[in-house]
Amino acid sequence: MRIAIAGKGGTGKTTIAGTLARLLARRGRQVWAIDADSNPNLAVTLGVPREAHAGLTPVPRSILRDDPADDSGKRKILGVNASDVVDRYGYRGPDGVRLLLMGRVDHAGAG
Amino acid sequence: MCGAHAAVRHLIGGILEDDRHVTVVDMEAGLEHLSRATGRHVDTLLVTLEPYYKALETSRRCVLLGQELGIPRVVGIGNKIRDEVDAAAVRQFAASHGIPVVAEIPFDDAVRRSDLADAPFIDVPDSTAVREIDRLAGWLLAPPP
Repeated sequence: MRIAIAGKGGTGKTTIAGTLARLLARRGRQVWAIDADSNPNLAVTLGVPREAHAGLTPVPRSILRDDPADDSGKRKILGVNASDVVDRYGYRGPDGVRLLLMGRVDHAGAG
Repeated sequence: MCGAHAAVRHLIGGILEDDRHVTVVDMEAGLEHLSRATGRHVDTLLVTLEPYYKALETSRRCVLLGQELGIPRVVGIGNKIRDEVDAAAVRQFAASHGIPVVAEIPFDDAVRRSDLADAPFIDVPDSTAVREIDRLAGWLLAPPP
């Protein structure tokens, strides 16, 4: 199952996402939590200790490679296994939830 | 952010389906992610419904975009519901736009307090909001009728 949570900023998306991820894990599921916000806060609601935040490595865009079937060179495909991405970049948080950071913007104008 | 959107989309698309696995994606606020089709490969889109006009209007557009992307299950979850007036406002808005509401999460001041204390909300004892999110978890995992 792949669940996304959307809505206006400030409506509680991140609080719900983090809490839901933990509760699904407590119901015996293997949960991957993906923070796709450019201002990531999911780690806090998942209960990842503050000391660990600086060490969270965002998933690099190099997981994508050019689609060989596309001559324009614009289309991308996933160049690695998703589970390898989780093994390498997924932080193991409370209740075994694996957290992946996708979109951190470190500088104004980046990306 | 273009590369980040593409990376999220392709990563979600590459996750193999099995019963034991659940992926939860916290999307960027607003409509950007959905309009870039980041959510194309999810099977369930939960859209927050907070009882004030601007939030509901954004949510309605999120629902429409989710449906346009062909996401099989697009549902609303009421949040920060303070009283029966809030609940009625969310229900009425959702009903008038054909959005099924699968959870009504009550307003819980413990969210703000746990945020200030840098503690995860799930650890708040006896929270009615946590209980409702757990009921949502059960609904998500239950086989479709």
